Amino acid sequence: MSSLSLAWRNLVRQRRRTILMGTVVAFGFAAFALAGGFIAQSFEGLREGTIQTVGQLQAVDRRSVDRAEERTLEFGLKESSRARSAVAKDPAVSAVLPRIEFVGLAVAGAKSVPYLGVGVDPDPEGKATGARDLVVSGKYLSGDGGDGVVLGTGLASALQVKPGDGLTLMATTPDGSLNAVDAVVAGLADVRIKELNDRYLACGIGLAARLLQSPETVTKLVVFLRRDADENRAAARIGSELKAAGYDVVIRHWKELAVFYGQVKLLYIGIFGFVGAVLVVIVILSAAIVMTMAVSERTREIGTLRALGTRPAGILRMFLVEGIALAAVGCVAGMVLALAIRAVLNASGIILPPPPGATHGMPINVRFYPLAYAAGLLAMIATMVVASYFPARRASRVSIVEALAHI
Amino acid sequence: MGEPQSQGIRRDREPLVEAKGLSRNYRLGASQVAALRGVTLTIAPGEFVALQGPSGSGKTTLLNLLGLLDRPDEGTILIEGREGESLSENARSDLRRDRFGFVFQTFNLIPVLSSEENVAYPMVIAGRAPEERRQRARELLTAVGLGEKLAVRPDLLSGGQRQRVAIARALANRPAIVFADEPTANLDSRTAEEILDLMRKINEESSVAFLFATHDPRVVARARRVVRLHDGLVESDGAAR
Repeated sequence: MSSLSLAWRNLVRQRRRTILMGTVVAFGFAAFALAGGFIAQSFEGLREGTIQTVGQLQAVDRRSVDRAEERTLEFGLKESSRARSAVAKDPAVSAVLPRIEFVGLAVAGAKSVPYLGVGVDPDPEGKATGARDLVVSGKYLSGDGGDGVVLGTGLASALQVKPGDGLTLMATTPDGSLNAVDAVVAGLADVRIKELNDRYLACGIGLAARLLQSPETVTKLVVFLRRDADENRAAARIGSELKAAGYDVVIRHWKELAVFYGQVKLLYIGIFGFVGAVLVVIVILSAAIVMTMAVSERTREIGTLRALGTRPAGILRMFLVEGIALAAVGCVAGMVLALAIRAVLNASGIILPPPPGATHGMPINVRFYPLAYAAGLLAMIATMVVASYFPARRASRVSIVEALAHI
Repeated sequence: MGEPQSQGIRRDREPLVEAKGLSRNYRLGASQVAALRGVTLTIAPGEFVALQGPSGSGKTTLLNLLGLLDRPDEGTILIEGREGESLSENARSDLRRDRFGFVFQTFNLIPVLSSEENVAYPMVIAGRAPEERRQRARELLTAVGLGEKLAVRPDLLSGGQRQRVAIARALANRPAIVFADEPTANLDSRTAEEILDLMRKINEESSVAFLFATHDPRVVARARRVVRLHDGLVESDGAAR
């Protein structure tokens, strides 16, 4: 006759109460498991999306870290092919994407609209970042990009152009003069963030170099790593390699660059943390009421056990074990419930509203995230221990004579 | 059942339980009610004693104090020479577990445990080995005539059978004394006689002392010594007539 066996029998004996409390625990657990899976899925999606945009690492001129450029490519990496080759040698690197970032004015007929331009190496860029998938009309750049440009749908709309139309790009060169080149709209892209859609322009690195009159100079090198690569070690190696090649660069990690990712993550943690805390409080209060009733109903039994020589700690332990056993039973039921709800939600095709700053909602997808299930189990056990402790302590301190006389 | 009583620190000539000047007051609303007013009493090993008196005379209060279930407002209780009041709550629990047995008017069996498990419970908290517990519980239940009811839960037993299980449980850890509070009050006449005969037999065979709080004349008739209480005081103390 172990403590667990005694606890189990008491739970069976107080069947109705056990079912009631087990249901509360089961829903609490399921909420933890499902919310955890949903958050994990959201974080992973956000992380993947962020890395697709900014890469895992970026090599930039050291001066650009503390100071904004006064002129385009003021802190650019010169002889970019040499720098790119030095980085590409690293075994952890899967792609090195040169980028030229610039601003200017796009002119189509009587319309002129400012843009945020990025010059890219189209093939590896399209492959590594999924930029091709953003094209909603026309096509993405190919080869060296030629005179083609991809415009955000908002920018195209403001310029009243469509794929195949011509336009003129104007920008200031590093020496401060104004230059212009003709370009052709290759495709329109929906970059998912409204403000960026209204300004986005991508072109081949050759066209950008011609516009800025700066051949072989790029703003940065965006580095993608292989899946199993160690980000920190790779960063250290790449930094050394570039230094040896004569570049005074800083290697920046994606987390430093993705301010948006950090903010959204904090927002999610805040929201779900608050909801989780409310949930825990509800379970604690319900469980405390149930355990108090159990103690009250069994007062005479407690008196008998104490009279027979059970120490106060033994009574405390008995009710705590009951609380833990109830949590375990509730969690098993909650696991079944969570898996069933997950299957229904994932099959439902419900589209969630777009996250902050985004233009597209995403279909609900609750992942099976073992850590969330483990956290749910721990949270419910801890909750039940806390909820059981005070009634159990009261039971252990009850006067034996009064308990034996309890009706 | 027939174990010698020479366990623990008890010596044959030393009193088993010695109470000196016990007083106990209860609060009833704004006023204090004196349940005991300076009771002095000694119980020797192997005695079969009835505490007799009308309702409110202090029988149960005295039994609770001597059984270390309650603490006196004044006076001292010595259990085999050890002062009960100086012991910690855990030490008092251990003393009850190892040296005392209790039989209650309402049986007070644990409803989720079988007869055998109820009897084994005091041995579980005493840390005895499972095989020893099983053997002893079966032995005791057989001795009280319930060898066939080992796996039966209390709710399926009659009142007399429940009280027999309670007696077996009281003897589980080979106590020096069994405190019984109105053990026959909830039983019919025939069953009450059987229970009393059983306790008397146990007393004679094993020399376990019995102290009853009762106003049942059948209990008093079987006692060797009767202590009469009135208004919280010992009115008389002597051999049963």
